[in-house]
Amino acid sequence: MSNQRQASSASQTPHLSPAELSYLYTSLSLPRAPIRPDGRSPTQFRPLSAESNILPGTNGSARIGFADGTQAIVGVKAEVERTNLATDTLASQSDVNDSEEHQGSAAVSGHGSWVQMSIEIPGFRDDDALPVFLSEMMRESLVGSVTEGSGKADAADAAEMAGGLKGRLVINKRWHWRLYIDVLLLSQPLSYPLPLLSLTTHLALLSTKLPKLKSQGEEDPFFDDDWAVAEYLYPRISSQKTKLPSQYVRPPVTLLVISVGENVIFDPNREEIAVADAVLAISLTRDSEAGSLKLLSIRTIDPPSRLTQPAVPNSENVNMLGAPAPTEDIAVLNPVTGEEEVPGVWRPRRGGIKRSVIANMVQTVLKKGGVGEDVLEGLEGVEVE
Amino acid sequence: MKSLRRDLPSNPQASNVASKVFVRSTKSGKVQKIVRELYLRQDIPCSSKLCSICPSIAPADANGNIAPFILSDRPAGTKAFPHGHYLVPDTNALLNGMDLFEHTGAFYDVIILQTVLEELRNLSLPLYNRLLALIKTDEKRFYLFFNEFRLETHVRRGPQESINDRNDRAVRAVATWYEEHLRASAKKGKKEKSIPALVVITDDKDNIKKAKAENVTALSLSDYVSGLEDSERLLDMISEAREARESRGTAGQLFYPEYLSMSKIMTGLRAGTLHQGVFNVSPYNYLEGSVKVPSFNKPLLILGRDNSNRAISGDVVVIEVLPQDQWKSPSSKIVDEEAVTRNDNPDSEETENVVSENERKALQEEVKKAHGKNSEGKPQPTAKVVGIIKRGWRQYVGHVDSNSTGSQAASGRRQQTVFVLAMDRKVPKIRLRTRQAGDLLGKRILVTIDSWDRDSRYPTGHFIRSLGELETKAAETEALLLEYDVQYKPFPKSVLDCLPSEGHDWKVPASKEDKGWKGRRDLRDLLICSIDPPGCQDIDDALHARPLSNGNFEVGVHIADVSHFVKPNNPMDFEASVRGTTVYLVDKRIDMLPSLLGTDLCSLKPYVERYAFSVIWEVTPNAEIVSSDFTKSVIRSREAFSYERAQKRIDDPSQTDELTESMRNLLRFSKILRQKRYDAGALNLASPEVRIEADSDEVGDPLTDVKTKAMLETNSLVEEFMLLANITVGSKIFESFSQTALLRRHATPPPQNFEDLINQLSKKRGMELDVSSSGALASSLDRCVDSQNPFFNTLVRILATRCMTSAEYFCAGAHAEPEFRHYGLASPIYTHFTSPIRRYADLIVHRQLASAIGYEGEDGHAVIEGVSTRSKLEDICQNINYRHRNAQFAGRASIEYYVGQALKARGEQMAEGGTDSGIDEEGYVMRVFENGVVVFVPRFGIEGTVRLEDFVLPGESNAWTVSERKELAAHRTTDFDIEEYKLRVEEKGHSEKERGVTVELFQKVKVNVSSVKEEGRGAGKRRVRILITG
Repeated sequence: MSNQRQASSASQTPHLSPAELSYLYTSLSLPRAPIRPDGRSPTQFRPLSAESNILPGTNGSARIGFADGTQAIVGVKAEVERTNLATDTLASQSDVNDSEEHQGSAAVSGHGSWVQMSIEIPGFRDDDALPVFLSEMMRESLVGSVTEGSGKADAADAAEMAGGLKGRLVINKRWHWRLYIDVLLLSQPLSYPLPLLSLTTHLALLSTKLPKLKSQGEEDPFFDDDWAVAEYLYPRISSQKTKLPSQYVRPPVTLLVISVGENVIFDPNREEIAVADAVLAISLTRDSEAGSLKLLSIRTIDPPSRLTQPAVPNSENVNMLGAPAPTEDIAVLNPVTGEEEVPGVWRPRRGGIKRSVIANMVQTVLKKGGVGEDVLEGLEGVEVE
Repeated sequence: MKSLRRDLPSNPQASNVASKVFVRSTKSGKVQKIVRELYLRQDIPCSSKLCSICPSIAPADANGNIAPFILSDRPAGTKAFPHGHYLVPDTNALLNGMDLFEHTGAFYDVIILQTVLEELRNLSLPLYNRLLALIKTDEKRFYLFFNEFRLETHVRRGPQESINDRNDRAVRAVATWYEEHLRASAKKGKKEKSIPALVVITDDKDNIKKAKAENVTALSLSDYVSGLEDSERLLDMISEAREARESRGTAGQLFYPEYLSMSKIMTGLRAGTLHQGVFNVSPYNYLEGSVKVPSFNKPLLILGRDNSNRAISGDVVVIEVLPQDQWKSPSSKIVDEEAVTRNDNPDSEETENVVSENERKALQEEVKKAHGKNSEGKPQPTAKVVGIIKRGWRQYVGHVDSNSTGSQAASGRRQQTVFVLAMDRKVPKIRLRTRQAGDLLGKRILVTIDSWDRDSRYPTGHFIRSLGELETKAAETEALLLEYDVQYKPFPKSVLDCLPSEGHDWKVPASKEDKGWKGRRDLRDLLICSIDPPGCQDIDDALHARPLSNGNFEVGVHIADVSHFVKPNNPMDFEASVRGTTVYLVDKRIDMLPSLLGTDLCSLKPYVERYAFSVIWEVTPNAEIVSSDFTKSVIRSREAFSYERAQKRIDDPSQTDELTESMRNLLRFSKILRQKRYDAGALNLASPEVRIEADSDEVGDPLTDVKTKAMLETNSLVEEFMLLANITVGSKIFESFSQTALLRRHATPPPQNFEDLINQLSKKRGMELDVSSSGALASSLDRCVDSQNPFFNTLVRILATRCMTSAEYFCAGAHAEPEFRHYGLASPIYTHFTSPIRRYADLIVHRQLASAIGYEGEDGHAVIEGVSTRSKLEDICQNINYRHRNAQFAGRASIEYYVGQALKARGEQMAEGGTDSGIDEEGYVMRVFENGVVVFVPRFGIEGTVRLEDFVLPGESNAWTVSERKELAAHRTTDFDIEEYKLRVEEKGHSEKERGVTVELFQKVKVNVSSVKEEGRGAGKRRVRILITG
């Protein structure tokens, strides 16, 4: 039970001694050149294996496995549904013109509830806080990534994606697609599962296809029965076109970033999270309008380091009373947290993060050739067919 | 890390697993991606008798036998393929030339691919069924090759490859594989030379080109046929559809509006702006159709060719209601197609309009009528056809219109286009291209419709076969059976194999220990007799009655135990379920069951023991039913009476034996039952029926054979008890099988069906018809009596019957219980139990009843037989309803034909001694049109249209010939009073009272009936001409 509660805050905290925690923290907080336990550079991701279209019965699916053995699969199912607007019934009694407008706007721009996401994590009930929180966090960035007023976009593909995913789900005023995204974590959540689930979902959505529409306009939808002509939910980059990938709307990804001291570290493993000053989930997406990356959200996640047992400096240790206090054991001010710390003695982090660190994180993610682009390109490269 | 994905190259099992992915849209609007796995195998045999490999690998059944190989080791050769050949047709070849493949002169050793069969099923269900039948017969050597499951011939769809291209590739792949396979496996001793060629038949030019590149022999259907003997006749049988389209190209003018797209139709239907229904053409006016849709009480009118937009009677169409300013009244005119479009030229497309000038005139007249005042003339909602859901096209019997053959008809074998007039008046002319126009003239022929394009005024079809000379008995009978889709071929061997091996020597086992006696009651000592029409061989039912010691009576109805002989799900059962009913023609009976059963083993013949299924009641002397009991039994009928003989015996006071007494009791009970039924509101309906006794001698007046059905008391005796048995059994099986009981219902007709009749009666006779319930209708019909005109009441009953819906079989789960009502019989529940020899429904009911009473059958485990699933029963219901209706139509048509022939024979006899003056009879006016009337002649049970020229005005001779009379039409004027249902016919310019004839509805008229040679559509039928003589 306690194990679960811990996990629900961020992840299972590894059982490290305060001394180990302190050592790890010190290594990671080395100015500008953190030393990670597995020797990665701060922006380097762990190797992962990814494949898509693994479930033939779904509209799109993907699997990603991290090297630490955590694996997730995601299946996307699409269903046709009649657009039932509450305004319909209300408006029928009131002004007709009014209703037209209402209908128009809601039916054209789509609705967030058309995307349904469920996450299953072993050891958790589906109404536990972690799955609910994770699914809502991912769904929100999915349906929220709307570019308003992209009607001017001249490229056909861009027009197709006007209004983002929500807009793409609109078939006509009376019909729409409903997406069911089922996320399944296959292994115990060793580290915080969000990045894994987000990347897998992203990949699954990239491979998602919808049957080709044969009917036109406001007719009841009628589809081509050939799956081979089905169209991608997110249009793929075709080799013939010279368009840059940046011109395509892409599903968002959420990256997990931690800060340790002044350092920003991507794709932290379990141990690294355990000593992080702050854990942030950064959602970003490719925006068709701007042609660059767009930051969707930053959420702080309760760092598990808060729950660790503090170590006792020699000066306060009853057992060490009487022993001469070494000179190094003098409390210094941690430049990041502004707290007094004795080097080499572990103290739970109390949260708080400096603006400059956040700014640094965002910049590392969004800048051209930055981590965000890296990740998106990497995922784009996964063979879909 | 191991991949979860089953990639083809990485998976060692992948070589024989493939998957098929497609999108399925369900009716409820769901769209699903469907993935089917295919497990490819290598043991599907090639089925060629040449092959030495396949026999050893082909899968064997439980007994170790493999399916016999079909394809001959010495297939027929042609000039091009001297060593013989196997044919591999693609879907289009079958679509265009199914009749060729059925032809017995050629097309043997054909490999039908599973791909092709499935594609055909999607394109045309009737053709699919015909192909299946072909595959089943042994003599044509058609082999169904499951190419999609054989590893070597499975073809994966390439990227961006259309499904057609993929299927074509599959056909070529099979041809290639067969060729290699045969070469490798041909039995030793056969030289390579003698290996048959594989010939792909395809009409796709692209496919032929690709085949050439892949070294596969491919020919178009017509090229292949040209290389055969008798090619001219065969070429005619290729469907015209495709060729015609190509040759005409874009030059053609588009006559008809395009159909809406499927998605538009579905949207409209769901939204309720479009409606779906079956298109029906009026028998009096070929330009007027109607569609009954569920949303409205009355059918919607479809007027004119433009609006009917290439729909043919029987098609399931989608219609759109026209704006109100285009609403019209139904026509009050008789319009025949051949009269209006007589001069159309089948070859010329350039000058034709959809609505020819004459047709347009005819239509204008209708518009005038729209401004009438009473209900007959009130404009009614009209609609137009905007889409076709399902074509109801079938094979049509007809003959070549001699006017359309052109002058050089008989000369040469030039291909020309002719019109075929179908026997069914509701079907438009069919354009037919043939090289044998000369031979076909004067023949009954079978044709089929291939297509009806927007740029063609008439549908295009092709010739199938000739039935023989017009007006010969054989040709006309076959035509009739084909037209009503009656299965008349002899029973196949598989069916006959199901008969008891003893044949006619079969007997009820003597020993009661025998398993045949298990669960059967011994009723041999009861005085049972049967009463049937004279000469009846298939005796379904027998009766008995005897007093009981408590003063009550025991009454029993014993029905032939057909279900004992016809076990479920064997070929005989299947054949019977397809035939559905026995069809009675004047001189022929087409049995549902082989005659060994029908006329001997099942038939409750007198003096022999027979198995029966008995319903036994205990009734009080007042015919109150105390209890009822059902049992399988063994009976011995004492006597088989005809109605007349039974009547005589009952009436003869000197007969006092027990059997006669029991019949008298039965008669007494039947009268009480009958009265009770009428009190409950049962209807006494009438249909124009005559009986023909064909076995009378040749010399006399042929017309003496034609008799109206006499109704004796004994007729109703049998009828009452059969009704009682049916009702009793109906409630019993419904009790046991609340979902699957097979019942029969007669829906309450909607009151608006009677509107016209009510109007006519009140206007012409001041009579009222109360249609609020069947009882009210029955009593108001009783009041419709004209003392001057004894037949009037029957006439009204006939007309009332036509306003009703027809009774139908259904399965109990399909309707709510209150809907089970049988309107005509005023019974809350009803079924058919009493004629299992001639109706399949009764056979099912027998099985259900047997199961309901726990009868275990001979082997003790037949308890649930006959209780099929509901969906299967619903299919059966649909079929037997259809067969039942067709059997009635066929029977009537047969009588009509016979009457015509009898009149003709009489006419010829008369002609020898002088002139053919026809026969004078009484007739009654049933309907009045603007340019004619419909007259019913009770003596012959026929009704006929009387046109203007057929009115014999005072002072005219009635001995004129048809053509002479035809001329008259132009000189006649009419005065039609739509509100009074009155038509006055006069000669132009002579409006004096005494020179004209006035007829009105229900009027009794003197008519002269004769058989005349008809030109045009009715040719060969010898139209019965009715002249009104006063």
